[in-house]
Amino acid sequence: MHFTIEQRPQPSAAMRVAAPIIATLLTLAVGSAFFAALGYAPLAALHAFFIQPLSSANGLSEWLLKASPLILIGCGLAVGFRGNVWNIGAEGQLIAGAIAATGVGLYWPAPDALLLPLMILAGIVAGMAWAAVPAFLRARMNTNEVLVTLMLTYVATLLLSWLVHGPWRDPAGFNYPQTALLPPAAMFSYFDPAYRLNTSIVATVIAVVAMWLFTDRSFLGYKMSVSGAAPLAARYAGFRESSAIWIGLLAGGAAAGFAGVAEAAGPLGQLSPQISPGYGFAAIIVAFIGRLNAFGIVLGGLLMSLLFLGGEQVQMTLGLPSALTRIFQGILLFFLLACDFFIFYRLRRSGGH
Amino acid sequence: MTDTTRRDFLKYSGALGAAAATGGFAGLAHAQEVLKVGVVYVSPVADIGWTKQHSLGAQAIKDAFGDKVEMTIIDNIFMPQDAERVFTQLASSGNKLIFGTSFSHGTPMQKVAPRFPDIAFEHCSGIVHLANLGTFEAKYYEGTFVAGAAAGHMTKSGKIGFIGGFPIPDIVGPANALLLGAQSVRPDTTCNVVFLNSWFDPGKEKEAANTLLSQGCDVICSMTDTATGVQTAGEGGAWSIGYASDMAAFGSGKQLTAFTLDWSRDYVEPAKAVAAGTWKPEVRWDGLAAGIVKMAPYNEQIPADVVAKLKQLETDIGSGKVHPYAGELKDQDGNVKVAAGSVLADPDIRGMNWFVAGMIGKLA
Repeated sequence: MHFTIEQRPQPSAAMRVAAPIIATLLTLAVGSAFFAALGYAPLAALHAFFIQPLSSANGLSEWLLKASPLILIGCGLAVGFRGNVWNIGAEGQLIAGAIAATGVGLYWPAPDALLLPLMILAGIVAGMAWAAVPAFLRARMNTNEVLVTLMLTYVATLLLSWLVHGPWRDPAGFNYPQTALLPPAAMFSYFDPAYRLNTSIVATVIAVVAMWLFTDRSFLGYKMSVSGAAPLAARYAGFRESSAIWIGLLAGGAAAGFAGVAEAAGPLGQLSPQISPGYGFAAIIVAFIGRLNAFGIVLGGLLMSLLFLGGEQVQMTLGLPSALTRIFQGILLFFLLACDFFIFYRLRRSGGH
Repeated sequence: MTDTTRRDFLKYSGALGAAAATGGFAGLAHAQEVLKVGVVYVSPVADIGWTKQHSLGAQAIKDAFGDKVEMTIIDNIFMPQDAERVFTQLASSGNKLIFGTSFSHGTPMQKVAPRFPDIAFEHCSGIVHLANLGTFEAKYYEGTFVAGAAAGHMTKSGKIGFIGGFPIPDIVGPANALLLGAQSVRPDTTCNVVFLNSWFDPGKEKEAANTLLSQGCDVICSMTDTATGVQTAGEGGAWSIGYASDMAAFGSGKQLTAFTLDWSRDYVEPAKAVAAGTWKPEVRWDGLAAGIVKMAPYNEQIPADVVAKLKQLETDIGSGKVHPYAGELKDQDGNVKVAAGSVLADPDIRGMNWFVAGMIGKLA
């Protein structure tokens, strides 16, 4: 028996709703079997994965703290993705933002009240500048932005490494590669000192709303979507491709740059050779789980964050090795994206060839 | 996780709702005298390497305490953002003693420790101490000096190669001592250095090892979290020196020795002190004498008289008769850093950021 994959004439409305539900059920079923086969009580494992991390105020704070950069960057990237502008280098733009913000925070003699706003500005500008390079190259020389954005991530990492091993190294740090701690005025303030969630999440909320307004309510956003879906038609209609490229990349760069500020002036408080737990890359998954839609990205970011916290929680309560938790995370993401596939495609049984 | 906990959990896990009630079960199920200990690893536990040696330390607590201890172990926590959350969770879930095992756990532990003044924190590779945060570290350089002496006896080309994870003092210092050990036997020895900027990147490490081999190095020492350096050297017919664990099994019979880490004392003693209520934050920094650093069995192809000399060197370093950083020491540019007759001061060893003469390569 043979199956072929064929595109549906129309995206399936039923699958659009059903896909996440089917994915959840499949994950629960396969995940339970997976845990049971390894000798762990499936319900306890699922409980530890999805419920326990959120059952305390600290858990909720950590959940939002980790989801915030993912959602923020996911929104920025999705603006570009909708216009077929593939910014894979948000990680580098995040690092550029963190570097610029920390530089201002440590070395700029600004009054306390202005310090954090200046850092935010510096971080956003740096993220956009990092993204402007591939935007310029793509718009002017038709360079592949996937490669340029990705390669610039390595450049940013090396720049960071050079700074923390060299000129910015903490003089009181035994020559270890990290900067001094940022002064208190350079840090986002906590909602409650007992929890790590800080005011930088406000920017994420603004970004989500802005993204929604831009993509669903603005003519420019519509033009970007047309450019993405049908470049020739867009050109015929007089939409300039280069503006889609610039907007797409700069939006991603600004969002990632801010996320870098939020990490440096939030949970980190200093720079070291590695500052991002891969937020720039994870946000790409978040954007696609969210189907490039503002509110979908919120859900996607919350899910990715929960998967991460849940992975730690099962280690703590059940002693599952981290490799197993990552397999389970993989199972979930696989089902989610695979089920989405069937919105646009279907399997059809065909005669043997 | 102990078996007790698993059983407890299974009892409760008949239904999701019942499981929901088990948030605080662990404290109820055990009597007061059970010590709860949390350990955070920077990477997953493998067959060999840094985290493996720490897992042996954690195991030593279990062996010493039996069912009087309940261990919670979280692995693969590298980023400071995540570490702070994990340390907070461990501290707020009743653990009385918490271990961090990587330099990157330092800043998070310094933030969490003051919020839990009744909990003892122990940080391996740490440099900052607080009222309830102690540190422990190994004198790797004592091990690399002995291993370097072995290399000096066995090298034909007079060139040895060193692969480091990051150019931090804990790696730069031992790299220097490796060459100084070799030069103590064969003064014209040089050492080519490559940094990977990663603790775990077997692909890059293999490339680095092959580069060193093609540069004529016939002994390779790799301070990373893999056995790739030892393996690649062996495949290329060169000698190798293992780090953290005995890596002889990977070296095609060419591992000269390994400077291994045995943290048992650094785990068991704080646990006993916490149980007895006598724990105090300490700065523990030991090497061959205390058995924190141990030399793995020497390769059979090393002549017996050389092995005897190496064993004597171990003893002499342990007793303080030989100091790896004894003057006169010059840096790469020929500046005298340690005058003849004196030794490098401890703070300067902990913060070493310069290469001795004969090192070929640049820092950062």
